[in-house]
Amino acid sequence: MDSIISTRDLRKTFRSQRGNVDAVRGVSIDVARGEIFGFLGPNGAGKTTTLRMVTTLLPIDAGTAVVAGFDVAREPGRVRSRVGYVSQLGGADDLATGQENLILQGRLYGGDLASVTRRTEAVMEVLDLSEFADRRVKTYSGGQRRRLDIALGIVHEPEVLFLDEPSTGLDPQNRAYLWDHVRGLRDQGATIFLTTHYLEEADALCDRLVIMDHGEIVIEGTPRELKRQVAGESVVLSILDEKDAPARASALLGGQAFVREISADGDQVHLYVEDSSAALPQILRLLDGERIGIKSMSVSEPTLDDVFLRQTGRSLRDSGATSNEERAA
Amino acid sequence: MKTLRDTGLLFHRYTVQMLRNPVWLFVGFSTPVLYLVLFTPLLKDLPGVKGFPTGGVLELFLPGILALLAFASGASAGFGTIFELQSGLIERLRVTPASRFAILIGPILSGLVMMTVFDVVVVAVGVGFGFTVHWAGLLVLTVLLWVLAALMAAFSTATALVTKDISSFAAIINGINLPLLLLAGVLLPISLGPLWLRILAHFNPLYYLVVASRSLAAGHLGDPAVWQAFVVLVPLCAVVLMWATRVFRRAVS
Repeated sequence: MDSIISTRDLRKTFRSQRGNVDAVRGVSIDVARGEIFGFLGPNGAGKTTTLRMVTTLLPIDAGTAVVAGFDVAREPGRVRSRVGYVSQLGGADDLATGQENLILQGRLYGGDLASVTRRTEAVMEVLDLSEFADRRVKTYSGGQRRRLDIALGIVHEPEVLFLDEPSTGLDPQNRAYLWDHVRGLRDQGATIFLTTHYLEEADALCDRLVIMDHGEIVIEGTPRELKRQVAGESVVLSILDEKDAPARASALLGGQAFVREISADGDQVHLYVEDSSAALPQILRLLDGERIGIKSMSVSEPTLDDVFLRQTGRSLRDSGATSNEERAA
Repeated sequence: MKTLRDTGLLFHRYTVQMLRNPVWLFVGFSTPVLYLVLFTPLLKDLPGVKGFPTGGVLELFLPGILALLAFASGASAGFGTIFELQSGLIERLRVTPASRFAILIGPILSGLVMMTVFDVVVVAVGVGFGFTVHWAGLLVLTVLLWVLAALMAAFSTATALVTKDISSFAAIINGINLPLLLLAGVLLPISLGPLWLRILAHFNPLYYLVVASRSLAAGHLGDPAVWQAFVVLVPLCAVVLMWATRVFRRAVS
């Protein structure tokens, strides 16, 4: 594979008075040229820390990273001129216009004024920013500002674009709009590496992704491959919590031949079954026989959340607000 | 060459940002003028008191205000840095191949230009109150003020990058500012004080600048205090600039 990003056993530990945090514990990935590659995981999983090491912003404690043909630790300057990076914060100047922001950025990458100006106009065109080019950034809406952040990341025509949580804070409409733009960049030949904690984003946007948890890669594949692992359909039962009912329900259903996998999370029991239309009557009959009441029941196609749940025993949706280590990084 | 080019680009960016924020300019202008107008009258009976240098009140007080301005404008540079850390600007600059020294010095130079404009205003107001201008002395003093302001700004910026949050940064900077200012005789000359205070002041780099600034404002370019101030401040400024560049090169956020 023609890898544009390649890391081997990347590690990072943050030391503080309150003790050490192993934020990244041995991450090895290969990203192919021209794909959208994603890091999916809850906050504090080590996604941003990995990204910051690969983009030269944070020293690497152990392991190696090669980006666009250059070792990140040994030749950070060469890596910097070949990558674009859009942080969660963005960092555009509020008091400058969009165009001024882009021209400064392009010139800091070494371009001369004439070529940077041409490139700035082209980038604003691609990201639908042309009509706001001469307005100060503080007047931009959230979606316009995020597109400008991305424009700042690509104005020097990088080989790889890194996006850290690109759609955080955007409403669903602007998010979908942003995804279209990101796909457009990929179609023009860019490689895009993004982190996200939105399942929908990882599923809709990424050609390939890894799921990260507690500083480690849990699983890697295309969204389709990952979901296929979770065979069949998922059934979520919400059990009336009395007399250990959830535990009894898990034990009872776990022993059934038609249940491929089962896990419990509070009063929720998740089952994976081959065919829900055959399984549902049986589940109801079994629970009724043991006098276990249920509050609700739902059936769904497997999602990346099911993949995460299966791999970690937790739901990604619930583990959103865990740690603030990524901020501290 | 690349460093020079990047410095120019960032100098331009910071100067434009500053000019677009007029409130900030107004505060910068008003502080030294307020000192001059509201504090100088308190000193009118001081000449003749034991320990008071020869010369008029303004000749003594105005250079002190210029020193205070250089010190304060440098020391406050880190507040902007904290804001830029939080807005993501520092990270955006650090991920570009721009020279790390340029990222540090661009805003500092922009601050020096602004300070020089303030200095001119202070001197002009002083002339209105009867201050006598010695051009050669003031020119040399301007260079010394640049060195001090650059030194303080580099220190303040690096401290901001290390502490990263506004409260610990402000605690450190304020904790340093007050003893340094008091021990330099910015408002009233240290020569008025007892021996132990006069000895202690010699451990304060700012003290040398304040003493030299009074000699220079009076036109005494040959006063040993002048070269002494250069000998103390120039190497110190170089060391602090190197340290601050190193902080930028390492991870900062």
